[in-house]
Amino acid sequence: MTTPMLEIRDLHVRIEEENKAILKGVNLTIPHGEVHAVMGRNGSGKSTLSYALAGREGYEITDGDVLLDGESIVDMEPDERAAAGLFLAFQYPIEIPGVATMTFLKAAMNAQRKAREQEELSTPDFRKAVREAAGKLSIDTDMLKRALNVGFSGGEKKRAEVLQMALLQPKMCILDETDSGLDIDALQIVSEGVNGLRSPQRSMLVITHYQRLLNHIVPDRVHVFSDGRVVESGDKDLALELESKGYAAFDGVPA
Amino acid sequence: MNIQTPVRLGPAEEKLIAQLEGAGADALADQLRARGLPTRRVEAYHYTDLKMLLRDVPDLPEPGEAAAAPALRVPGSYRLLVADGEVQEVGTAPAGVIVSEQDGPVLSERDDPIVGVNRALAVSTLKVRLESSVDPVVHIDRRATGVAGHVVGSVLIDVADGASATVLESCSGTEEAHLTNFATKVNLGKGARLTHIVVDLSGETVTRFHTLEYEFAAESHLHGLVLNSGSQLSRTQIFGTVNGEGAHADLNGLNLVNGGQHCDITMDLTHAVPNTTSKEKFKVVAREKAKAVFQGKILVAQDAQKTDAKMMMQGLMLGATAEILSKPELEIYADDVVCGHGSTCGDLDHDAMFYLMSRGVPQKLAESMLIRAFVQELLDPIEDAELNEALSGVVEDWLAQEGQNLSA
Ligand SMILES: Nc1ncnc2c1ncn2[C@@H]1O[C@H](COP(=O)(O)OP(=O)(O)O)[C@@H](O)[C@H]1O
Ligand SMILES: [Mg+2]
Repeated sequence: MTTPMLEIRDLHVRIEEENKAILKGVNLTIPHGEVHAVMGRNGSGKSTLSYALAGREGYEITDGDVLLDGESIVDMEPDERAAAGLFLAFQYPIEIPGVATMTFLKAAMNAQRKAREQEELSTPDFRKAVREAAGKLSIDTDMLKRALNVGFSGGEKKRAEVLQMALLQPKMCILDETDSGLDIDALQIVSEGVNGLRSPQRSMLVITHYQRLLNHIVPDRVHVFSDGRVVESGDKDLALELESKGYAAFDGVPA
Repeated sequence: MNIQTPVRLGPAEEKLIAQLEGAGADALADQLRARGLPTRRVEAYHYTDLKMLLRDVPDLPEPGEAAAAPALRVPGSYRLLVADGEVQEVGTAPAGVIVSEQDGPVLSERDDPIVGVNRALAVSTLKVRLESSVDPVVHIDRRATGVAGHVVGSVLIDVADGASATVLESCSGTEEAHLTNFATKVNLGKGARLTHIVVDLSGETVTRFHTLEYEFAAESHLHGLVLNSGSQLSRTQIFGTVNGEGAHADLNGLNLVNGGQHCDITMDLTHAVPNTTSKEKFKVVAREKAKAVFQGKILVAQDAQKTDAKMMMQGLMLGATAEILSKPELEIYADDVVCGHGSTCGDLDHDAMFYLMSRGVPQKLAESMLIRAFVQELLDPIEDAELNEALSGVVEDWLAQEGQNLSA
């Protein structure tokens, strides 16, 4: 049996600040090259899952394990997880005043290259890579001269997340509601950007609560998430079924 | 019966008294003998208890040889080397700059021991007169040389009506436990514009006192920045009187402190006439067991109507053992003014740290990026590119200093 890209085993997560258990035994396996969708209503714990995978402080793993390409990542710092190939496109990207987007992109790309024992990018190579990737996502390069995410519109922030994903070339991408705040045109562009990154060496976990996104990024598997666990899994048609029947049909909780 | 217990004097006070007497400043010596150095009970020294902190006063320096390389180099600048308070190299002054020496101290009399000692011991003052629009940065390179000494220096920066210039003062020296007491008096003529930067890069066992005194004529404009990253114990005192209508004072400070440093900036600014403005911004980045003090007082006199003054202190605390003490004060006697102050203090933004690290940026580098972002605002207004780069270099050097994980 080949090692899956991501294996989440009986994951229990508690939010330290609230002393509240949010994830109550998540099991999910994503083979190499596959795109899986997680759908669930607001507050079901989808973002908690994404933060726990990325290693955010305050999200304590009380039980279970997460394996990336066969290796446990739960004791790694967020930067080590990134260097190992994990990438989270945030539902709410953080604004960082005073840090120019280009400076940040270069620092991130070079930090990961260093962790992978590759040479630093030259400035012309870096600029070229950014220009090309930005072009594909219809990102105006003027935006990249501004401070990171500061004053970006909702749509610009989401595009900037996908731009980072394209530049960092992770092997496991988690997209947390990348569709929210996007109009139809932007959704089209972003989806094309994501689809362009699909490859046999790269897997994706696409979190959403609308089926709409999955018309553009067609998943291999769909998982329904409720109250901190996966309650149903199926192929892409499960998303359509969910859309017509509603979440209540799956988790028994009235809408 | 009210018997005043005599103040018990420590070795630092005894030494100072002897030096003052040697210079013929008997009145000040007597006063010091009677009062001792200020303790925390003296309001202005509440956070910087000199009696406790000043352990020793080294001898007045023998004329020594100047240290070799400047601690701060600004290409294209006109450099004046002042070693142990004495002018060493003057060179050919650029157009609009007249350098001379005048007898005696330059600071105004004031009931303050740091000012008192400077006035008593400063034999002469280096006068830099800026006559017109001066192109190169004028760099006053103050050094403490040789073995530990009590170095006293005095500088007058005199900006003529309508003139404009950028003056940098850097303080550095040998790695000895010097005590330095510097004075800088700045006179801004009518419509004069000055950028005045004071950088402390003294060694880590130095105690440094520096008093800055500013006078503003009508329509003059000052952009001031005090950047402290050196010295074990330092106190920078800023006294300003905005006494010309339409004048503007922009006073900024940046304390970068680590280890066991104690770094104090105390500002006392008076808006004395109507229609003047000032903006004060002081920032601190403190790590390890360092302590940074900011006391800022703005006084608006009764007839200083339409004064617009805004003072802000922002502290970044890296680690639970550092300490930032801030005391902003407004004393307003006029009724038609816009004045405000604020003070914030916190650690690095955790969300920002997580975001950067989730992109693979290691903790240390992510911290540096956020610290740079925090201080950048104070460097941005420095227009001279070489000077700006030199000051950025000071920040970079500080960031590169060994330290534990900052946000642990
Ligand atoms: N930082 C936090 N502090 C307290 N409660 C939180 C925090 N993050 C999430 N929660 C709670 O955890 C639950 C799951 O939230 P979340 O993971 O954001 O859900 P989703 O992304 O599916 O909408 C919700 O009840 C939410 O209120
Ligand atoms: Mg969410």
